[in-house]
Amino acid sequence: MAGRSGREISIASPKTPVKRILSWEGALVLIFIAVNILGVILSENYTVANVLRQMPRYLAEIFILFPMGYILILGDIDISVGSIVCLCATTACFAGNAGFPFPVVMLVCLLTGLVCGAVNGAILAKFTELPSMIVTLGTQIIFRGIAEVAMGSGGSISYTNSIDLMVLTQMVGPFPIVFFFVLISAVIFIVLLSKTTFGRKLYAIGSNKEAAYYAGIKVQKIRFIVFSLAGLMSGFCALFLLSVLFSANTTTGNGFEMEVIAMAVFGGIATTGGKGNLVGGFIAAFIIVCLRVALGLINMNTQLILVIIGLMLIIAVLMPGISQRIKGMRKTVK
Amino acid sequence: MKKNSVLKQLTKSREFSLVIVLIVLCIVATIFSPSFLSPTNISQIFRNNALTMILSVGMLCVLLTGGIDISIASILAFSGMTVGMLLKYDVITNTFLLFVIGSAIGVGCGLLNGLIIAKGNVAPIISTMGFMYIWRGLAYVISNNEWASGADVVGYSDFGADGSMGPYIIIAAVFIIGFIVMKWTKFGRKIYAVGSNTEAARVSGINVDGVLIYTYVIMGFLSGLCGALSVSIYASAQPNMQYALEMDVIASCVIGGVSMSGGRGSVVGTFLGALILAFITRALPLVGIDAIAQNMVKGVLILVVVVLNVVTQRMMDRASLERREM
Repeated sequence: MAGRSGREISIASPKTPVKRILSWEGALVLIFIAVNILGVILSENYTVANVLRQMPRYLAEIFILFPMGYILILGDIDISVGSIVCLCATTACFAGNAGFPFPVVMLVCLLTGLVCGAVNGAILAKFTELPSMIVTLGTQIIFRGIAEVAMGSGGSISYTNSIDLMVLTQMVGPFPIVFFFVLISAVIFIVLLSKTTFGRKLYAIGSNKEAAYYAGIKVQKIRFIVFSLAGLMSGFCALFLLSVLFSANTTTGNGFEMEVIAMAVFGGIATTGGKGNLVGGFIAAFIIVCLRVALGLINMNTQLILVIIGLMLIIAVLMPGISQRIKGMRKTVK
Repeated sequence: MKKNSVLKQLTKSREFSLVIVLIVLCIVATIFSPSFLSPTNISQIFRNNALTMILSVGMLCVLLTGGIDISIASILAFSGMTVGMLLKYDVITNTFLLFVIGSAIGVGCGLLNGLIIAKGNVAPIISTMGFMYIWRGLAYVISNNEWASGADVVGYSDFGADGSMGPYIIIAAVFIIGFIVMKWTKFGRKIYAVGSNTEAARVSGINVDGVLIYTYVIMGFLSGLCGALSVSIYASAQPNMQYALEMDVIASCVIGGVSMSGGRGSVVGTFLGALILAFITRALPLVGIDAIAQNMVKGVLILVVVVLNVVTQRMMDRASLERREM
C-alpha cells in the first residue's frame, strides 16, 4: 500500500489524485513547495534567477544520486563515491595542466571514475561474501590516498586553463547548463529503473538475492555494472564540480557519499534494498538544494544547515514507523 | 598429524593469526628501526591511538548486534567541544567532573541513537548518519567559531599529557571490562545472541530492543569519554576534531575479525586489530613509505585483510566438505 506510510512501493500505482498526494512523492512535492515559500519569506533575494545562479554549486552531487539509488535498491551501499570524485578531479587537473585538449580531459575524468567504480564492482562480484560497506570503506581510503599521493605535499592542484571549464558553466537562457545534464540523466536513470527489465532486475535482486539468482538473473554481473555506473557518474560530478571550483584538493568530495545517501533515503529509498524509486530521490535532492540556497542567502552557518538536513533525514525515516503505529492504534480502537 | 593441527589452529583461531601478523610486523619494523619496540615508542603508539582503541570496544558491541554507528566521531567532537568551552570560560575546571560531563553527553547521544534504531525500526547506518550531521553541526554551533587552545586547557591537559598514566589506565580499563562483560556476563552473551539471530533471541525471551539500546548507549558513553580524553591528550578542542575517526575504528574492528553482519568477533581480536593498525601507521615511515602515502597503504591493507579472510573461509569450507565426502 502506498498510503500514508507511502515509503513502500506498491505494484499498483495510485490512481486517484488524493492518493497521489498522500504518497511519499506527493508529500515531497509539498515539502518542496514549502521550502520555496520559506525561501521567499526569508530573503528577498530568493528569486528564480538567483536560485538558478546559485544552483550549480550543489547540483553536481545529484549526478551521483541516481546510481546511488540503484545501489541502495540492490541492498548495497557505496561510501567511496566522494573519494572517486576527488581522484577524478585530480586526474582531470593533471590532464588539463599537461596541455591536453578539453575533450580529452573530460574523457580522462570520466574514465578514471569508471575504472574506480569497476574496481569496486569487481571486488564485490568476485568476493560475494564481503559486505559492500567494508569494500567501499577500503577503496574510499585508497582512492583518496592515490589523489593525495598525486597532489604531493601541497595537498591541492588548480586547473590552470580555466577558460576551458567555462564551457560547462555557461547559461542557456536563465538555466545553467548543468541543470540540463542533471535533467537528462534523471530521465535516463528513471526510465531505466521503472520501464526496463534491467530496472525490474534491480528490484528483484534487492528484494531477494537468492530468488533472483535462481530466476536466472546474473546478480553479480548487474552489481558490477551498477557499481561501475556509480564510478562513471562520480566522474561527471567531478567534472562539473571542477567547473565551479577550478581546483581540487585532498578534501574535495568529502562527505558526498553521505549527502547523496541522505537525499536518496529522504526520497523514500530503503537501505535494506528493493524499495523506493528515483523520482522521490530526485525531488528530495531539489528540496535539499533549495533549502541550502535559501539558508545560504540569509548567511546561516553551513554547519547549522547540516543539522537541519540531519534532523529532516531522521524525521523522514521515522515517519513510516510512526504512521504505522497510529494506524495500528486506530485498528485496536475499532 | 601434529602439523595438521597447527595449521588448523591457524585457520580456525582468528586471534592466533593476528598475533602472528603482529609479530612479523614488529620484526620487520625492528629491522628497519631497532628502537621500534622500545618502551617509549610503544607507549607513544598507545597514546596516539588511545581514541581508536577505546572506541573499537564500543564499535565491537554495535557490530556484534549487526548494526553500525558512524556518528561516533561527531559525538566525540560535540562532547569534546563542550568540555573545551567549559574550560575556556573557566566554568568548570575539575578534570574528573569534566570527564563525567563529557561521558554524560555521550550517553545522551547514544540513548537517542538506540531509541531511534530499536524503537523506530530505522536502519542503524541511516539513523547514525543523521546524527553524524547533527552532533558535528552542534559542535560548530556551541564553539561559536572559537576553539580551545593549549593555554585554555592548562591543568586539564595534564591528565593526558605525555608521561601521564591517564590514557593507558582508561585503555586498560575499557578492554578489561569489555573482555569480562563480553565473555562472562549475561549481557555480553545476549549481545552475541541478538547479533547471530535476532528472531531466535526474541523467541528465547531476550529483550532485543533493550539490548540494542544498551549497546548504542555504551558506544555513546565511550565516544563522550573519548571526547573529553581527546581534549586532554591533544590539549586543544576544535569543532572538526577527529573527523572521519569512525572509519579507523570500523577498520580496526574488521581487521580484528569482527563480522559486519553481526554475531562474530571478540574483544581480544578487536584489541589485536586496533594494535595492528596502530603499529602499521607507526611503522610505515620507518620502512621508507611517505607520510602522504600512508592512507593509501591503510586502505589496501583493510581490503587485503578482508579478502584474505574470505579466501581462508572458503578454503575451510571446502576442507570440511571434503572430509564429509570421505
